[in-house]
Amino acid sequence: MKKLLSSLAAFVLVLGVFAPAVFADNHEEMAMVRVLHASPDAPAVDVYVDGNAVVEGAEFKAATDYMELPAGEHTVEIYAAGTKGEQDAVISADVTVEAGKAYTAAAIDTLENLQLKAIEDSKEATEGMAKVRVGHFIPGAPAVDVGPIGGEALFAGAEFPMVTDYKELEPGSYDLEVRTTDGTQLIDLSGTTVEAGKVYSAFAVGTADSPEVLLLQDSAAMPSEMPETGFGGTADSGSNAMMLAAAFGVLAVGAGFFVFRKRSEA
Amino acid sequence: MKRFVYPITLGFLVFILSFQLLKDEPSEETRVLSNSPSPTPIQAETMDNKASTHSEDILEATPIEKNYEPAVVAPTDVAEGIVPVRLTIPSIDVDAPVGPQGYTEQGGMAVPDSVTEVGWFEPGTKPGATGNSVIAGHVDGRNGPAVFYDLKELEAGDLIYVEGKDGEKLTYTVQKVVAHPLDESPIRELFGPTNEKALNLITCTGPYDDEAQEYTERLAVYTTLSSSKTTPKN
Repeated sequence: MKKLLSSLAAFVLVLGVFAPAVFADNHEEMAMVRVLHASPDAPAVDVYVDGNAVVEGAEFKAATDYMELPAGEHTVEIYAAGTKGEQDAVISADVTVEAGKAYTAAAIDTLENLQLKAIEDSKEATEGMAKVRVGHFIPGAPAVDVGPIGGEALFAGAEFPMVTDYKELEPGSYDLEVRTTDGTQLIDLSGTTVEAGKVYSAFAVGTADSPEVLLLQDSAAMPSEMPETGFGGTADSGSNAMMLAAAFGVLAVGAGFFVFRKRSEA
Repeated sequence: MKRFVYPITLGFLVFILSFQLLKDEPSEETRVLSNSPSPTPIQAETMDNKASTHSEDILEATPIEKNYEPAVVAPTDVAEGIVPVRLTIPSIDVDAPVGPQGYTEQGGMAVPDSVTEVGWFEPGTKPGATGNSVIAGHVDGRNGPAVFYDLKELEAGDLIYVEGKDGEKLTYTVQKVVAHPLDESPIRELFGPTNEKALNLITCTGPYDDEAQEYTERLAVYTTLSSSKTTPKN
């Protein structure tokens, strides 16, 4: 019995030494997904991925932070908040995400025509420049331009439900407007500030009568690796620990012999 | 037979046990070294705040249980941020010059050559502005401790002061201190977008890998801005 226990203990300890390496990361295989509720007349929703609730109670104009999902195909279901189990999903869609990429999954259009639009987001910032794109998620609104008030359009002719490519802009403050392609202002965006090394998505949401813009930040200038912040001058060398532990082990073997021999003699 | 099995088992156990204790902590799991005393209520509170700013009116009409982290939005109050020149942490006697740092050839964060100076990641966020600012410093040199040797002693609530080149002074409060294995370090969490005005301090920790000539963990001290005095002092 004792032997069984001690071998079990040894097994657990050995496992403890090696297990972390075995179970360690596969986070390279993850994708990032955020959810945007852009359907002006839809109720608050719960979002389920593969049957698990990932977002609860998101109302119109709510955008979530990025969540990690394993790369591959997932079933995304959207329910009116609190109705899973009682009602059918308002949308159910299969979405495939790739490792290392970031996506926005937007519920768009009116409740009647609700659809899920998945777009890939940039994770790459440009040094010294801001990166911006525009999404037109206002059902029933005409094609729009986005640019300085009265000035030349930076983004021209974006139609529902289109998202433009990213464009590099000088960092700074802009008096922008969203206007119809014939020049009627829909949204005043005076004092919009974009910073160097940051990546933005400006999603126009709402209705033609009450449009507005959500300016989300997609990414920022980031290093690919952590800084190397030590030369090892104060490090305990790992081999020291090994030697010391081995010495203790040998001592214990010796002590064990002594103890157990005495006992069997007695 | 017993005579051999027991002592050898015992010796083996002692070896494993003492090796586990002697080596510098398990290296593959993220360890939270220090946290704010009551993390859950604080997090819940900030989540509610953020969420409610979006749609206060609807919330009052129909209380709906919310459970998600809101997206990072472009800040409406545009705090300019400062160019940091000095970092002071009284609780661990750090008073160090800050220099701007960019990328290494491999695309990592560059660090100062000096062991007494710390580096601010210049392509990222300026301290005081919304986002994650990062300052990194060495834990040791080739022969002894460096500027961030005692960083691991910091605890939630400790204060950190950053001085700008025009004499502005920012105060940050430590939220938590976490050791991350190098290959699992949450670079986006430390450097990426956030709705907070945060400053993260980074140094090396954990066991030293003689072969790679590098520490195998990174110590991250997460702090948030608690007060800013942007007028130059006289």
